[in-house]
Amino acid sequence: MSRRVVLALLLAAHVAYADESVTASAPPDASQQSIGAELGVATGGRVTAGGVRVAGHYLYQLSDQDWFDGVAAFTFGGGGAECFRNRMDNFVCDHGMLQGGSVEIAANVRRYFQGNDQFWPFARAGVGLSIVRFSSDSVTGLGVPLHLGGGVRASVSDGVAIVGEGELAVGFGVFNHSLGLEPQVGVAITVGAEFRL
Amino acid sequence: MRYVLIALALAACQNLDVSRSVGARCDMATDCNERCLTPSGAWPGGFCTVTCDTAASCPESSTCIDEQGGVCAFSCVGDGDCTFLGTGYTCKAVDSHGAGAKVMVCRGG
Repeated sequence: MSRRVVLALLLAAHVAYADESVTASAPPDASQQSIGAELGVATGGRVTAGGVRVAGHYLYQLSDQDWFDGVAAFTFGGGGAECFRNRMDNFVCDHGMLQGGSVEIAANVRRYFQGNDQFWPFARAGVGLSIVRFSSDSVTGLGVPLHLGGGVRASVSDGVAIVGEGELAVGFGVFNHSLGLEPQVGVAITVGAEFRL
Repeated sequence: MRYVLIALALAACQNLDVSRSVGARCDMATDCNERCLTPSGAWPGGFCTVTCDTAASCPESSTCIDEQGGVCAFSCVGDGDCTFLGTGYTCKAVDSHGAGAKVMVCRGG
């Protein structure tokens, strides 16, 4: 009899521990689906667009800790012609950190780490497909950036959270004007809000 | 992955030597920030430059020469300083603009 009681207690303890670990692996108010909008700054340079960054997110829960994070991002930078032919007759571009424009869609995975009731840190990694444009130089390219970043999600009310994040994007783009394949490196910092669906 | 990062770093730090202001090849003014000394024996491949009054109004490493109303050209000491501009450029003594003296600049012809 006592053995059954002990067994039952052990099972109950295990279930309780399992429940606790599930609730501690992600923000308790994060639902299976959310949408979000963010605003911030992206820095680029050379053939990577930089400027004001506006991004929309769609989040879908994949596991206890992981969410699919689909992003549509727009970068609006300044103008100015910065491309020229060097002495070897190669067309090169030397755009500043806040020049050019881009449109990108990206598929990421967001993983939450141990947080408290309100603040939950997360890491994000993924890949995107972007169209980059420097209109003053008539330079256009198609880029494939890899994203690696992280941030913090802060719950402010039931179903609403504030998110701040930073990311590094590295990859390559194929450009016109005989630029061909060019490396791209950019950094972005954004803040925004997420809403439970 | 390490080689990709090294390649990205090198690409980001590459020395362009010339710019749309001074030194880039050109056929017309729209190839440059301001003006183009069109391809000729004096300026093989064309030469982007800016108008100047004195050497102080030229970008670093360039000086104001008395040509076409005053334009900036790269300063030099010997022909070796001009090899980055390509075939046809050597270090020559020309009249400076606004100083009434001779200066050494990279030029063709």
